[in-house]
Amino acid sequence: MWKNYLKISFRNLRKRKLYTGINLIGLTIAIVSFLAICLYIQHEWSYDKMYADYDRIYKFNQEFVSQGESQLVASTPSSLIPTLIEEIPEVETGTLVFDISIFSSVLIDAGEGNQEEKSFAYADENYFKVFDFELLSGSPAHVLAEPNQIVLTRSTAERYFGDAGSASGKILKVEGTDFTVSGVMEDFPSNSHMEFDFLASFKSHRHGKNPEWSPSNYYTYVKLKAGTDVSAFESKVEQIKEKYLGKELAEYGYKTSFHLQPVSNIHLGDQSLSSIKPGTDIRYLYIFGIVALLLIAIGIINYVNLATAEATERNKEVGLRKAMGAGRGQLFGQFVSESMLLTFGATVLSVLCLYLILPKFSQIGGVPLSTNSLMNPIGIGFMVGLIAIVGLLAGMYPSLILSGMEPIKALANKTKMGGGAWVRKSLVVFQFFVSIGLLIATFIVKNQLDHMQNVSLGYDREQVVALTYHYSMRNVAETMKSEMLRSGAASSISLAGDMPIHIQAGYKIFPGGDNQREFMITGYSTDEDIVKTLNLAILAGTDLNENDISRAEANESKAIIPIILNESAIKEMGWEPEEAIGKIVNFGFSDARIKAVVGDFYFNSMHEDIGPLGIFRDQGNANVMLVKIPSGNPSATLASLEEVWKKFVPERPFNYRFIDQEYAQLYRSEERVGVIFTLFSGIAVLIACMGLFGLVSYVALRRTREISIRKVLGATQKDVVSVLASDFFKLLLVASVLAIGFGLWFSDTWLQSFANKVEFSPMPYILAVMLVLLLAGLTIGYRSWKVFRLNPAKTLKSE
Amino acid sequence: MIELKNLDKYIESRFQRVFILKGIDLTINEGEFITLMGPSGAGKSTLLNILGLLDEEYDGNYLFGDRSIKSMKDRERSALHKSEFGYIFQAYHLIDELTVYENIETPLLYRKVSSNERKSIIADLLDRFNMVAKKDLFPAQLSGGQQQLVGIARAVAGKPRVLLADEPTGNLHSGQAKEIMEIFQELHREGTTIIQATHARENADYGTRLIDMLDGKIEKDEAIIHV
Repeated sequence: MWKNYLKISFRNLRKRKLYTGINLIGLTIAIVSFLAICLYIQHEWSYDKMYADYDRIYKFNQEFVSQGESQLVASTPSSLIPTLIEEIPEVETGTLVFDISIFSSVLIDAGEGNQEEKSFAYADENYFKVFDFELLSGSPAHVLAEPNQIVLTRSTAERYFGDAGSASGKILKVEGTDFTVSGVMEDFPSNSHMEFDFLASFKSHRHGKNPEWSPSNYYTYVKLKAGTDVSAFESKVEQIKEKYLGKELAEYGYKTSFHLQPVSNIHLGDQSLSSIKPGTDIRYLYIFGIVALLLIAIGIINYVNLATAEATERNKEVGLRKAMGAGRGQLFGQFVSESMLLTFGATVLSVLCLYLILPKFSQIGGVPLSTNSLMNPIGIGFMVGLIAIVGLLAGMYPSLILSGMEPIKALANKTKMGGGAWVRKSLVVFQFFVSIGLLIATFIVKNQLDHMQNVSLGYDREQVVALTYHYSMRNVAETMKSEMLRSGAASSISLAGDMPIHIQAGYKIFPGGDNQREFMITGYSTDEDIVKTLNLAILAGTDLNENDISRAEANESKAIIPIILNESAIKEMGWEPEEAIGKIVNFGFSDARIKAVVGDFYFNSMHEDIGPLGIFRDQGNANVMLVKIPSGNPSATLASLEEVWKKFVPERPFNYRFIDQEYAQLYRSEERVGVIFTLFSGIAVLIACMGLFGLVSYVALRRTREISIRKVLGATQKDVVSVLASDFFKLLLVASVLAIGFGLWFSDTWLQSFANKVEFSPMPYILAVMLVLLLAGLTIGYRSWKVFRLNPAKTLKSE
Repeated sequence: MIELKNLDKYIESRFQRVFILKGIDLTINEGEFITLMGPSGAGKSTLLNILGLLDEEYDGNYLFGDRSIKSMKDRERSALHKSEFGYIFQAYHLIDELTVYENIETPLLYRKVSSNERKSIIADLLDRFNMVAKKDLFPAQLSGGQQQLVGIARAVAGKPRVLLADEPTGNLHSGQAKEIMEIFQELHREGTTIIQATHARENADYGTRLIDMLDGKIEKDEAIIHV
């Protein structure tokens, strides 16, 4: 029986080329997008599940509570894990990772001069016991056990030594110190939250020799024994904390506690926690998943609409088969097998297309995707399920209609298409609702992205270059600065702890006085030239100068340091700019005198409001050299900066980043959302318009006679188009209204995550609706034009 | 075998009932070859459809054997439909997408006949109607007479006891019509009950009984005597 079904289905599909073409292309595009998104979601979902017993591996986060404000940070003290291994029996093992790339880059020399490396971490000897990454050479227990051992990844080893096999035992100079390559590991998989090029033994680091309870700079992972109760374990950790930290905490009025986070939860978990690799906001995965389903739905709707519209053509066949004894179920089976066959074809085509587009899509999505995850039993099963579900959803309704026809009426071609019409209409409305809605969302995302790139940040980010600064340069920094200024390649230079786009050091500030309370403030350690370099607006007071005492000096002499506060900080204290000048506050346990107040500027991503900020002199903590360059030829300017650089620190590579480019990087994930939205809303509009084309074609075909008569009676082309178009435009208008409603909701919800939102503009709505109406109009117009051009003499004669 | 008692079929229009069939009483015995005649609109096709269980909207009683059709469950009725009736249409109504072979095969598929049995039944029919060479052609590649032969082969493939034919020769020229009628006669001789509707008086001569219809009523019902 099924062989017969398939044969007939195949012949039917072959015979009706327009119908099959539209459905096949539409479904293929929809399924390609769906599969690509599924692969992306699967990749994000698979993070950190490749370690043996990953469900017993946890990461520690530390919560600080002070004066009712709580803050969760991803790092912990170095004493934590050794103490836990020692004192809590449930701990199977645990490890500590010190990712120093967040502070500065590292110079590596394998005999061919220094290379600046940014992906460098220290890890203790248990690292490979917790994370069973494959070692190509070296044994897991020994590669990080001794000081001055270093493990390279395969590609790093190839980069430095030509091939991974010969790297073991070789010597690398890390910031001038000899390290022995103790092992080579396979590159970190793309779905691990960790990614380093170098892992050095923690014992090589000065902090690795004596574990401490402060500072909290280290990522700590623990592997618990099977069957351990997590909350019971956490309370044991609480006791350990009390034992070692209780006294100190009580003294300073702090509270802190350690919380476990499953390792597989890091990537999609709390995005405010810092991590080795940027995570993914799980809400975006949901949004992409929904978009994928919507695209499939649009493809299915095309099929349903065309198949029901076409049902009139197949009356005779249905009637005959019924007369010959076909049961309803048998007819249903036949028509569903047609949709199944089509879906199968579309899926096969999709997989072929996927091979072609996946590299490009991986680039857009920022993750390496491959069809390998589809070419295994689970993947194949998934696709078979997809074919079954899509085929059934697409074929069910038309098959019910067709198989339910009464045989005599069907034979006599008396069946009217009245019944299915409202279903078709609502499906068309739904399709265009989705298409327009996605377009509106795309335009809103784009608006906000443009806004963030163009809005005034409160400082000049153009023409500012950040050079990598290392504390070993401290002796020559001042002379180098003046040399650069003299060369004309810089108009102002400032050493700073962070780039102004992302300042993160947390301090506490206490203004003094009775009704004042302590609050958290971000500290920016720089030198006296920062206001000039970034062109900050001084609202009151005077700029710092080179005679002002730095924080490091003040710590020794207990002197009062001069400080610049931003507007938000003094507002928090209830002062006006002028009023604040000269006031003494306690800033991070030192006394500070407010020397100037600057206008607020964005020193973090626009997801956050501008918080209080204190700027003070402390070149000792500098990591970057911010150079304001004159406008004009940037490459010549950079060349002369490099020349000066090479004169003073020839051993350090000259690396530069433009602040405005780095700023754009802040919104990479939003940018990605924007690109994906653009792509898929375009696809949705395309598929929906194809369906519309098919539908209009059928309507036009059915009404050929009517149109010919109208033409004979003197109708113009415009009249004919309006006859065909008016019905569809009503549907499009309903869809537009619904989509605008969705757009308003979306803009409200999505923009909520930004402290600085773009102002409401009707443009996204108008643009999206106009664009779709235009495309639909072209589709309908083209089809009507074709009908209009038919010779009425011929069409009427055939009746 | 079949008995219709006071059977009415009408369309409810806005102001009145329009009767298509009115007060039909008819008894058909197994093995008869009945010809329905009458002008267009006399109700011949409607009667055939009702007899063939394609139309169930009527008043009155229809007994098949000794069972009333109206009292049957859907499932029984469709089983009866499948096992007892074969249809032949004026416009042949072959499925354009299927070959000769597959068209004949279709009713067997719906009757869940096994693959081997199907093959032998179809082979016999093709042989009988001299269509072996044409079995892989599509309907569009055949002449009208040949298409109707396929239609008959298809109708008898399921070995129905009753063959219903609505204007089987209406689209054919006289030579082809004669051929079709001779086949009917042969089927009749083998024991099949045949009921045909036709405009052509000469077709009636192949049968055993002639019923004249006019305006939904039976005007005349007579036996045909073969000399």
